Amino acid sequence: MSHVQTHLDILEAEAIHIFREAAAQFRKPVLMYSIGKDSTVLLHLARKAFWPARLPFPLLHIDTTWKFREMIEFRDAQAASLGLDLIVHTNQDGIARGITPFDHSPSVYTDVMKTQALKAALYKHGFDAAFGGARRDEEASRAKERIFSFRAAGHRWDPRRQRPEMWSLLNGRLGPGETARVFPMSNWTEKDVWRYIAREGLDVVPLYFAGERPTVVRDGQLIVVNDDRIQLRPGETITRRRVRFRTLGCWPLTAAVVSSADTLDSVVAETLAATSSERRGRLIDHDQTGAMERKKQEGYF
Amino acid sequence: MSAHLRSIDAAALAAMPILEPFAPAAAEVRRASDLTGEVRVLTCGSVDDGKSTLIGRLLWDASDLFEDQREAVERHGRTVAGGQHFDYSLLVDGLVAEREQGITIDIAWRYFDSADRRFVIIDSPGHEQYTRNMASGASHADVAVMLIDARHGIKTQTRRHAALLDLFGVRTVVLAVNKMDLVGFDESCFRTIAREFEELAVGFAFDAAVAIPVSAVGGDNVAQASAAMAWYAGPTLLDVIRGARSAESRRQAPFRMPVQMVLRDGQDFRGLAGTITSGTLAVGDVIADVVSGQTARVARIATMGGDLDQAVAGAAVAIVASKDLDLSRGAVLSGSTHQARRAVRLEARLVWLSETPFDIDRGYLVRTATDLVPLTALAITARLDLASLARIDTETCGVNDIVEASMELGRPTAVDSFADVPGTGTILIVDAIDGSTVAGGVVGSVHETASKNAGTALVIDRALLASGLCHDLGDTIEDRIEFERRARELALLFQRTGVRVRLELG
Ligand SMILES: Nc1nc2c(ncn2[C@@H]2O[C@H](COP(=O)(O)OP(=O)(O)O)[C@@H](O)[C@H]2O)c(=O)[nH]1
Repeated sequence: MSHVQTHLDILEAEAIHIFREAAAQFRKPVLMYSIGKDSTVLLHLARKAFWPARLPFPLLHIDTTWKFREMIEFRDAQAASLGLDLIVHTNQDGIARGITPFDHSPSVYTDVMKTQALKAALYKHGFDAAFGGARRDEEASRAKERIFSFRAAGHRWDPRRQRPEMWSLLNGRLGPGETARVFPMSNWTEKDVWRYIAREGLDVVPLYFAGERPTVVRDGQLIVVNDDRIQLRPGETITRRRVRFRTLGCWPLTAAVVSSADTLDSVVAETLAATSSERRGRLIDHDQTGAMERKKQEGYF
Repeated sequence: MSAHLRSIDAAALAAMPILEPFAPAAAEVRRASDLTGEVRVLTCGSVDDGKSTLIGRLLWDASDLFEDQREAVERHGRTVAGGQHFDYSLLVDGLVAEREQGITIDIAWRYFDSADRRFVIIDSPGHEQYTRNMASGASHADVAVMLIDARHGIKTQTRRHAALLDLFGVRTVVLAVNKMDLVGFDESCFRTIAREFEELAVGFAFDAAVAIPVSAVGGDNVAQASAAMAWYAGPTLLDVIRGARSAESRRQAPFRMPVQMVLRDGQDFRGLAGTITSGTLAVGDVIADVVSGQTARVARIATMGGDLDQAVAGAAVAIVASKDLDLSRGAVLSGSTHQARRAVRLEARLVWLSETPFDIDRGYLVRTATDLVPLTALAITARLDLASLARIDTETCGVNDIVEASMELGRPTAVDSFADVPGTGTILIVDAIDGSTVAGGVVGSVHETASKNAGTALVIDRALLASGLCHDLGDTIEDRIEFERRARELALLFQRTGVRVRLELG
């Protein structure tokens, strides 16, 4: 074996270490599975951490009912082939109240269908820790996030109450009413995620690869029309374009980019040569300044 | 792009982020995953010395910044230093609350790739009231950049920072003497500061301490040698941080692997899972647990990607022993020589992290690499004045204090002295009631016997517990963990009422 550790070796080992620390210290953890590339890597790292044992926790997917069809197919195929214990949770109350990304602002929609749904699911199952694929490089407020991030009762994140972390010592002893979020990929970048997917030969949702898809241009962004719930505004037309996604979420809120990268190699190459950071494609972040930080304080992942 | 697309939405399309079709050479793709390791760089300085500008400039000159980030700086149009340069500090922003206050109050992490290396920038505030933030930043760093303003020279704060870096094990330090443009790039001004820095640095255990004259706004000696300071022939800032490597020294230290958990596949597999914190391990090597005295040989080093013949510091593995070892989380595996120490009492240097001061009547636990042990006694013996390095006798401490402490452990555990084996020589002190991390520190001397006056402690042993509180528990792993948990909680309850307790569960 070679003694040279590449930065991916270092990041992988660090994530495995974090998974094991959390599994040993928390009573009932869960892995937040959002089907995208980060979740794909997160799940792979978790399997490595506990191999040859089974994952000592279930996966939780918050289904807003607005995910891309291809995402749900991919999720179910992964769960079946890897024998995963998958919990799917939807905010039925939000559905009943008719909350949709077309009829409500991104912040209202996200709060009801994602934030409230997540809190309810964590509460219902009594999870005391949730693994997430968030990275510190994603957004300014995340640059200060801890690996073990503590939430007071009600899942509120208080930047002032976060525990200092030193060396690789992770203290998971919970205070009364506290729960934790655990971020094994804190030190990864978007580029690392793709490099690692290529290195490990992982399957990802086909939407990450370029294909001809029906699109509309809305607010300067390309939206791929995934089903007939689209509400066209005056002057909008549906046009087929060769596009792919850098990030996946609810289809009305996720922008595509024009691209012809249709293989893993070309996607990796395109990512390494990219000229814009990935969150451009996520409309919720543009809603208000400091949006993500406020969302975190409200309990958004 | 096809012609009919252009005819539909020309204006909107022009405004969209478009990635040009891109056909990479195969060699380029392969190289992508081959960054040769990473370097973690701590930056520290006082407000206004130019830290944000320096980090921004380093990102601008030497990294793979996204085009939209560059555009944001240019579009913002703010210029500094008499309108000659963009304000690179815009690349380094923080929490809303901090932006409003105009100061950085927490450490922030940033990542960038140079051609062959991943750099992680750990940005920490410098003021004395944030000593704890800097200490935690230092604990993650391979190299530290201390920033000062050339016009003001070395201040008390610089001494405090150097002492803190030394205490928490940073071995390569750079003094970036910034704003050289404001002193006319004057050589003698820099030389005076550099000499003073050398004198300061000899008092510490740094492997390398380098002073560099820079101008952050102009990029002089940041990533490129400065034309304005041709008299300076030393390395640029980028040269020094590129060269800092701590991975090698971790590999050369004696073998240690703190056990995180035991993995089973429901059949024959029983693997001791953990990350090798120092040294190397090969199949056939002796592994030993100093607390129980058990030894075995390595039969397999297992990973999901296949078994390894050998593994080095930093690797996360599962070790299958040649014979069953009765070990669980908290044990530290050593080799046949240079083993970890079996501690029942230890001295440590701590940085107090909690806003709540030390309280002798409160229950505390010590967190080692993977063990959590109740303390039967924790005493503060001295406070360290970082600027003068004087020891001041005291029995109290509060947030941001650097103190010497001695502690008695409720049961033996394996640790090292930080000076010998850094990877297993660090601890956290945890509040037993609310779980918070109240202090972090480095282990000094380790004692294998209890102190004389520890004899007054109430001894709770296995037999006592088994006959009463834990009589419902059997010998399964779960029951043994529960047994330990109850013992620990009981000890804490006693401690809360002022009774000193010693657990003897061996
Ligand atoms: N002339 C000059 N000004 C600088 C230099 N570096 C930083 N500054 C200025 O010093 C001030 C403080 O810089 P900033 O990076 O915000 O400092 P921080 O508080 O340490 O992050 C700003 O006005 C900068 O433009 C330099 O090398 N030369």
